[in-house]
Amino acid sequence: MLHEQELKTFVEGTTNFFEVTAQQPASIGSPYLMEGSPAVHEYTGVINISGKREGVVYFTASKAMLTVLLMKMQENDFSHETMRDLVGEVANTISGNARRDFGREFVISVPSVLSGEKPHIPQKPGMRSFIIPINWRSHSAKLIVALT
Amino acid sequence: MMLAGTERRRRQLVIAGLGTALTLVMGAVLIMGFRLATHMRADIGSLQTASTAQTYPEEISHQLNSLRDRLEVRAYSGQALADLQGTVKRFEQKLNELSVSGEADAPQLHRALQLWHQYAPVLDPVLYFNGQPYVDSDSAGSSLSREGRQHYAEVKRAQLFASDGAGPLQAQLAALAATLQRTCSDAAARLRTLLLAGVLAALALAGAAGYFRLTRSSHERAAREAQEQTRDILQTVREGFFLLDADYRIGSVWSEALTRMFSRQDFAGLSFEALLKDLVAPATLATATKYIKLLWGDRAHENLMKSINPLGQLEITVDNGHGGKETRYLQFDFHRVMGPEGVKQVLCAVGDITSSVLLARELQDSQENANAQVDMMLSMLHVEPMQLLSFLDTAETSLELVNTILKEPARTDAEFRRKLGGLFRELHGIKGEASALNLKSIASRVHALEDMVADCKKKPELTGNDFLPLVLRLDDLLAHLRSVREMAARLTALPAPAAAAGAPSGSAALRTQSPRPVEDLSPALQAMAARLAEDHAKHFRLTVAGLSEVPPSYAATIKDCLIQMLRNAAVHGIEPPEVRRAHTKQDVGVVSVHFRKVGEGYELLFEDDGAGIGTEALKAAAVRRRLISEEEARGMDTRAAMALIFRPGFTTQEDVSMDAGRGVGMDMVARSVYALGGRLGVSTHPGRFTRFKILLPAAQTVSSAVA
Repeated sequence: MLHEQELKTFVEGTTNFFEVTAQQPASIGSPYLMEGSPAVHEYTGVINISGKREGVVYFTASKAMLTVLLMKMQENDFSHETMRDLVGEVANTISGNARRDFGREFVISVPSVLSGEKPHIPQKPGMRSFIIPINWRSHSAKLIVALT
Repeated sequence: MMLAGTERRRRQLVIAGLGTALTLVMGAVLIMGFRLATHMRADIGSLQTASTAQTYPEEISHQLNSLRDRLEVRAYSGQALADLQGTVKRFEQKLNELSVSGEADAPQLHRALQLWHQYAPVLDPVLYFNGQPYVDSDSAGSSLSREGRQHYAEVKRAQLFASDGAGPLQAQLAALAATLQRTCSDAAARLRTLLLAGVLAALALAGAAGYFRLTRSSHERAAREAQEQTRDILQTVREGFFLLDADYRIGSVWSEALTRMFSRQDFAGLSFEALLKDLVAPATLATATKYIKLLWGDRAHENLMKSINPLGQLEITVDNGHGGKETRYLQFDFHRVMGPEGVKQVLCAVGDITSSVLLARELQDSQENANAQVDMMLSMLHVEPMQLLSFLDTAETSLELVNTILKEPARTDAEFRRKLGGLFRELHGIKGEASALNLKSIASRVHALEDMVADCKKKPELTGNDFLPLVLRLDDLLAHLRSVREMAARLTALPAPAAAAGAPSGSAALRTQSPRPVEDLSPALQAMAARLAEDHAKHFRLTVAGLSEVPPSYAATIKDCLIQMLRNAAVHGIEPPEVRRAHTKQDVGVVSVHFRKVGEGYELLFEDDGAGIGTEALKAAAVRRRLISEEEARGMDTRAAMALIFRPGFTTQEDVSMDAGRGVGMDMVARSVYALGGRLGVSTHPGRFTRFKILLPAAQTVSSAVA
């Protein structure tokens, strides 16, 4: 069973990114469970985890949300690559937070970025994921934790 | 290491001693040699003087002869006299030199001086002659003058004396020279011996020094190798080793593992207290410090000390190298290093037992899980398979509903708070049924989840963070239900007399077995009644009638309602035996259930002969829970007060238990009945009974209404 602190580490990594980068905190919505592969937005940053836990943690956000986030960051480049970089940066922050809190118990991969609404995310079939909505301004992204 | 140090000091002392001895020997040799050389130089001088002097008597004799011959032939004699005077003068000089030299006491010199003292007076008239030896005349030519004749006679006398005395004088001087030559030879021999001895001594000492230096080098090399080996050991060993001195401070040597364990390097001179100060609780630190002090006591028994070691498994929190913290478990082991005056130091061995501790916990968890599974399986054996599967279906459906409630987007406190009521109702239903089937592992999990929902309710402002533990528990519960289903599938797959040949097995197959026949609830209710009676120390019997008449579409609702009402009766209705006795009632109470068809519809009567319901108690509880104001309570009639029972969140119980106190149950009963288009009534007489009557419409009407 995943521990509450482990889940909180991933959540804090995500909300901290908004707090620091956009100077505007994000809040989390009502978390829930989902069996199988959850629907994702256009941009998804994935980190693979092995060691004490096995699986994936990913952050998925819509183009609209990322555009507003870039604007808030005083960024003028809204290209596909910049969006990918941004979502990769969020995944990187989540990864850094996990490294800080879990240390050597977790082996955390370098984040990878996937785009499109049907990317291939390596997830065990029949596995339940924790879906945590990340609310920022009027937008909502998702943090998905699928670990055993 | 201590022995090597003593040996090194000893060797240093030996080499210093050898050096000093060598210096002294060489000094003595040089001084003695210098003195010998000085003597030899004097002796050689005397030898030269004696050697020169021994020739003079003969020369004086020759010169006297020459002087005589010249006088006889009337030749010029002045030069011969002058030569004689010079020779005598030099001879006397040599004798004087010998007299003042170190050879003054030599007998040969003494005798030579005696002889010269006899000889010299004879020579003196000759030497001091200063007249004219000749007179010249035309007739006779040159002839000796009177002075010349006397001078000639003195020369002849001196010549005669010289012919007798010169030999012995010369012999004495030659003997003196020979003696001096021997003395010089002896001195030279002594000097050679001395130098040889000095060189040999120097060589011996130098050899000894060289030997010690060589042996010291080999010892130093051995010590260096030992140091390297010690360093290699300390760098490689997985345990942390260090020494504590009498001031409880760490020594200058420690193993590399210590650096990894404590994520620091400044151990030298660090006090044991400072090492642990930021890592453990103050109480643990105080105990550990006291224990360390005890180790220095001479009377402390090592095995006893080991048995009371408070640091056998120490939990510490250290940096994980990534800016975060991690928990480690360390085992400290202490060994006293004894010296001649008692405990000298304490060797501390620290082992990182984190993996072992975590493994032990995992094993314990696995054991507990295995035990829980066995318990679960045993409890499942008492449940009808169809009843169990029906429960699992219902529970999973309810949990899906719980997840759906959670999935509803929420951002505000009100939106989050709205979810809580629905969660309570769904969970309470599952718990009730799990309790009825005596599936404790499921009931306790749902109860814990209910506790979390209750905690959320108490919070002044709800956010998504408050729901994180809930969703984790929900995941755990779903996983548990899945494992129960798998166990159930295994159990039903076992060959059993009642098992229908060819019936599908496994969870997937089991889930497809619908519609199921209406289950007979009586055994489950009887089991639940027995458990409730035991848990709440009540005595009552349950009578059930007509449940086989329950139409399938009502089965779930009737079951939920009966479970809830039975729990209520056991907790609130039936009094403890002593109370019943005091009210002249039978010790054993009666709870009766009667289901029957009435006209087109159905009627369920549920009655207990317990304490009944006091309306004032109901109103007071509602006021306490702030469901109504005191003013509203005062204005309430009996009917309105009784209706409080069915309000969400209403309960007369202060403490929450497995079976009551949430204020959810009767609310759920009412909602279920109303959802089926039914009606619900309650009548009571304080101290005598409480009766619930549920009226349901005809089943087909309901089916179409629901559809």
